Amino acid sequence: MDRPTGEMTREDALEDLPGEAGLIEGRVDTGAAERTAFPLAEGDGLDKHTRVELLKEERAVAARYMSDPAKMWPYTVITLTCFAIWIALFPLTIMGIVPLWAGFVFATFIAAVGYIPSHEAMHCNIGRPGTKYHFWNEAVGQVATIILIFPFSMARMMHLHHHYHCNHPENDPDYTDGASGPIMAWVKTWLNRQPGADGSIHHYKRVLARIGTPAAEKALRDTAYLQLASMALMFALAWSGHAFVAAFLFWLPRHLGLSYIRYWLSWAPHHPRDGLGRYENTRVFRTWVGHYLSLGMQYHIVHHLYPGIPNHATKYAYYEMKPVLERRGVDCSAL
Amino acid sequence: MGPLVIRKLLLWMPLLFGFGFIAPLTAQTMVYWDIAPPLGLSPLVAGLIFGGAWGLYAQIKGRWI
Repeated sequence: MDRPTGEMTREDALEDLPGEAGLIEGRVDTGAAERTAFPLAEGDGLDKHTRVELLKEERAVAARYMSDPAKMWPYTVITLTCFAIWIALFPLTIMGIVPLWAGFVFATFIAAVGYIPSHEAMHCNIGRPGTKYHFWNEAVGQVATIILIFPFSMARMMHLHHHYHCNHPENDPDYTDGASGPIMAWVKTWLNRQPGADGSIHHYKRVLARIGTPAAEKALRDTAYLQLASMALMFALAWSGHAFVAAFLFWLPRHLGLSYIRYWLSWAPHHPRDGLGRYENTRVFRTWVGHYLSLGMQYHIVHHLYPGIPNHATKYAYYEMKPVLERRGVDCSAL
Repeated sequence: MGPLVIRKLLLWMPLLFGFGFIAPLTAQTMVYWDIAPPLGLSPLVAGLIFGGAWGLYAQIKGRWI
């Protein structure tokens, strides 16, 4: 294990994250800078000693599940393989070797699930900077969300910003995913992507412009280039007589994947987005679709407490950590 | 110059998408399902009219539907 336990504090981020990803904003602002590493909520009935002891117990559990890059190779192999298959599907479907419907199913699957390995890469769980695994970490991050037309530089910066300012109405880039209920949440995943909406990637661009650091400007440039290149590919396919290929291998899978991701990874674990504290900004919930179809988000609280724990381990870490979480006031009745 | 061009292109993307993607997709869909375009138009012209109009709507209104 090459990662310290504990939550992602600003100090950790400055030390551990590459480049300016640790300097999310160029100024001290409301949000993370004003919160201590261990926000001690008033009125939780625990004295300082108890809270510290509980944190130690929590960290001891987390230490057992932190990512070991030497064992994260399946994320790399699966991601790069799936990306290669997706690329190959374009000529294979055009030549009629693979039926388009099969390509559509595969493309939709990787559009929805591909965010998971990208997410691990955002937190450098596949390989920390300065280690031999870091190249593969970045490779996974770079390719996993191409199908979403979502460059890694923007994805990483906005996701870390989301961690630092989780549920903050102005500073959390994902705050616009909030909705009154599940049906409206699904509708909003589409509404936020409309050209004139201030949600989704449009909101991300505004946040990056506000941040204004060189890393943020690079993320904006990467986004512009990827968007233009993707449109150029779709237009070229469409005008060369392969509009269905562009629609069913790229355009439609992207939209279905984005909605799936926005609902399960953004709305569901943070609804109703009224908690800012370490133990209040995510919720434990049970869904009828189960653990895998919800992309492990039932246990998302573990991820916000310890981003170094990979997605596949959050379920097991949660059940070991549950007694501590309950004493910290987390409602664990759902699971 | 380059960044300005890119910014302008992205600003007009709904309209460009209408012509660049929806138009040929519409035309190929008509051909695939053997749908005769109205007024004796060719599928491509019908697609351009439909895609261009829808793209223009999205450009002005800020949403596709």
